[in-house]
Amino acid sequence: MIEPAPNQCSPSLAQLRLMQLISPSLPIGGFTYSQGLEWAVEQDWITTADTLAQWLEELAETTLAQIDLPILQRLYTASAHQDSAALDRWNQRLLAYRETAEMRAEERQRGRALATLLRALKVPLAEPWYSQLSGSHLTGFAHAARIWDISPRNMMLGYVWSWLENLVLAGIKLIPLGQSAGQQILLSLTPKLPPLVENALHLDDTAIGASNPALAIASSQHQFQYTRLFRS
Amino acid sequence: MTVRAKRDTAQMGWQAELMLGLAKRGDKTVLAQRRQRGPLAVQRPFYPEGAVCHLYLLHPPGGVVGGDQLSISTTVAQDAAAVVTTPGATKFYRSAGANATQKQQLQVAAGASLEWLPQENIFFPGALATIQTEIHLTSGAHFFGWEMHCLGRPANRERFDSGRLEFQLNVFRDDTPWLLERFLLTDPAELDALSGLRGFPVFATLLANDVDQTLLEQMQSQFGHLELACIGFTLLDDLLICRYLGESTEQARQIFIQIWQTLRPHLIQRAVCMPRIWAT
Repeated sequence: MIEPAPNQCSPSLAQLRLMQLISPSLPIGGFTYSQGLEWAVEQDWITTADTLAQWLEELAETTLAQIDLPILQRLYTASAHQDSAALDRWNQRLLAYRETAEMRAEERQRGRALATLLRALKVPLAEPWYSQLSGSHLTGFAHAARIWDISPRNMMLGYVWSWLENLVLAGIKLIPLGQSAGQQILLSLTPKLPPLVENALHLDDTAIGASNPALAIASSQHQFQYTRLFRS
Repeated sequence: MTVRAKRDTAQMGWQAELMLGLAKRGDKTVLAQRRQRGPLAVQRPFYPEGAVCHLYLLHPPGGVVGGDQLSISTTVAQDAAAVVTTPGATKFYRSAGANATQKQQLQVAAGASLEWLPQENIFFPGALATIQTEIHLTSGAHFFGWEMHCLGRPANRERFDSGRLEFQLNVFRDDTPWLLERFLLTDPAELDALSGLRGFPVFATLLANDVDQTLLEQMQSQFGHLELACIGFTLLDDLLICRYLGESTEQARQIFIQIWQTLRPHLIQRAVCMPRIWAT
């Protein structure tokens, strides 16, 4: 039988835990969502490596930098203080920032899958907090990172990397583009991520929130798209 | 007592406030409370369809300039019903440096309905403005409303090539956040963002609660495909959100009015009664 994960991790072990948490092999289905990209490609809004990179850079600077990352940090703090009311509050706010039915459903589906996995892995508090953790992907992600002694900064870097990797993979499949074009996009966009994380670490509550009208429209239309490979 | 607000030409701008309270008295809705400060006013209510109170809000004559702070609060008490609109577009002019703010707070009680149908906001190039709309719905409240924003003056081929705008649209149900939107435009280059405005000067949002999946699908098949403009419908629980991006406020208005005509009988069991002021 596999022992439950210990609560104290050395920095090297925490690094490895982060790799596990953001690995595409983590069974929470990250690769099944395109966040409106599938419709944007069908409409020829995105047709090349450059337009894919531009779309993703815009989202990284808005949705990621002004919603996901600062809320992830606050969920981490709530987990550290064992404050389940704060977990609920931030989770509720996160869902209210998700602008469409599909984006909300994605957050909840991934949340349930991760909470179920953390419970099966016997992660501390995953059982009593199951309802909180299953509210959104971010909540379980922040809690696992905190339990495994991953620093907030590294957690945020890991999160934004896995978000980018998933959507680049979705993009090259949809457009389609070659594998190396996808790797090139990752290489060119990753230098922009650390400053976003640094900025998000010091963001005031009132600076949280970002909307992208065309993204919201793409995600709304995706729900009615005739043939779909992706769930969002 | 009326406080006479003055617009200081140097920095200050108007400090205008309007608080409206609508309540049901007998078989009709009356304007039970009204507090007014500065150049925000409301015309005498009238009743083109009987019980429902129709109100016209009047913005400062000559538009909004940097430093102006407008605050509008509308409360619709239990079982009351109101339609609120404006006689014309609200213009936000170029600012020398001060930000203009317009805050709107709408509260609708159980059994009450508010139809919030203002005409568009026009942002002249160089405008600095924050538009904040907060909608508080109690369980059992009915809401239908829209906001239309025109950036620059497309008819004159004037793009919004400088200025800064922030749009917040927040909906709460029983004090729980239901939808939080915050759209920032800080740099003219963002006008062409692929995931943002895509170069379109007009963006508009329509909200209606009490909508189900069948109505959503009807909306999508009726209005979901536009030439040279983008539109999207989504349903968050029973809150329908329609988002429009396009070239003209007129097109957005026409679509939104048609949606209103389709939905109103479902929402408050009444056919549309077009505010007469729109025809002038």
